[in-house]
Amino acid sequence: MAKIIGGIGTSHVPTIGVAYDKGRQSDPAWAPLFDGYKPVAAWLAEKRPDVLVFFYNDHCTTFFFDMYPTFALGVGERFPIADEGAGLRALPAIRGDVKLQAHIAESLVNDEFDIAIFQDKPIDHGCAAPLPLLWPHEPDWPGVVVPIAINVLQYPLPTARRCYRLGQAVRRAIESYPEDLSVVVVGTGGLSHQVHGERTGFNNTEWDMRFLDLIQHDPEALMSMTHGEYVRLGGAESVEQIMWLAMRGALPEAINKLHQNYYLATTTAMTVVLYDVDVEAAAPAPPRPAEIARGKQS
Amino acid sequence: MNPQVQGLDQLDGTYVFDLRISNKALKLNRFFWNMIGADWRARFLDDEEETMTAADLREEEKMLVRARDWLGLVQYGANFFVIEKFARVVKKTNLEVYAIMRGESFEDFLRTRRVPDAR
Repeated sequence: MAKIIGGIGTSHVPTIGVAYDKGRQSDPAWAPLFDGYKPVAAWLAEKRPDVLVFFYNDHCTTFFFDMYPTFALGVGERFPIADEGAGLRALPAIRGDVKLQAHIAESLVNDEFDIAIFQDKPIDHGCAAPLPLLWPHEPDWPGVVVPIAINVLQYPLPTARRCYRLGQAVRRAIESYPEDLSVVVVGTGGLSHQVHGERTGFNNTEWDMRFLDLIQHDPEALMSMTHGEYVRLGGAESVEQIMWLAMRGALPEAINKLHQNYYLATTTAMTVVLYDVDVEAAAPAPPRPAEIARGKQS
Repeated sequence: MNPQVQGLDQLDGTYVFDLRISNKALKLNRFFWNMIGADWRARFLDDEEETMTAADLREEEKMLVRARDWLGLVQYGANFFVIEKFARVVKKTNLEVYAIMRGESFEDFLRTRRVPDAR
């Protein structure tokens, strides 16, 4: 049976990718960011998970607004990294696992999570910016990615609570997969930032710290917030932090924070947090809503 | 009114990108979205007016593009995440676009940042 051994919350600022490609890892302005990922990369190298499930958002690259999915799961052996207007990055295409992705799709849809499916599409910085800071890529990535895109661009967005429930459904999907795979779930985005309009450059470190506390200890408080509250507290684009709730929903109630790095340099509070779970002690995933309705326990 | 964004129309300097706006600005946003293709970028750099006409932009939209009116584009309904693709093509960094949207010089904007060298 596949199992989830931990979770990661991470920013996906495109500038991280630019700085990475330019080799600015030890530049004094960038070292606090790149050094902050090293303990996470080391943990991944030690635990060797087979799979990273990425809850990320497309930035109107893979999809255009003429057909913009609320939730979309990628199925494929490879996903090229997208050209977002500045050409291609020197990174290998992201690896996938069709059998696992198809199982997750089937499990989600049978769980009444009617997710859209994409195939043979490039993936943008929502996933590709943090990925090389987590996993090495020479000569190739050490594992596969399950990309799950969440619409955080075009309102109406899924609610924060819906994202958490997506995470719970993904956990049920993974725990019902027969192969012994080790899985880490990743939620991307944030923290505080705004990159449009005259309010561009807004940050709120006090709120960021509260968010980091709540995501671990009281996700219910974050699920109850409206998009408007996220926008007011953290800036318009920080609403993407609802994707951290999808990651959180895929983890059990008790999680341990192993590492946290917070670096607000220019406009986005760039953050990475690593959690692990006591796989043996964790209660099983909560049952599917359909099974509750039938009075069945699973 | 979507209750999830209630009150945001009162929040200064913030423009909620909803379906009404997206529908109105669809062709403009597609014009910018197409900048992910090398062929379209080359075509734009070769003849800006021709690509805007091919994209069926309204005169008001063409004026915003010609003027590189970054804030005006946002206020009209262009989504920032396709605007930034256009910015790459016309060789503007995001930080430069941010300063313009705030109505500040680049230097003044950087002075408001904690680590201005992180770019």
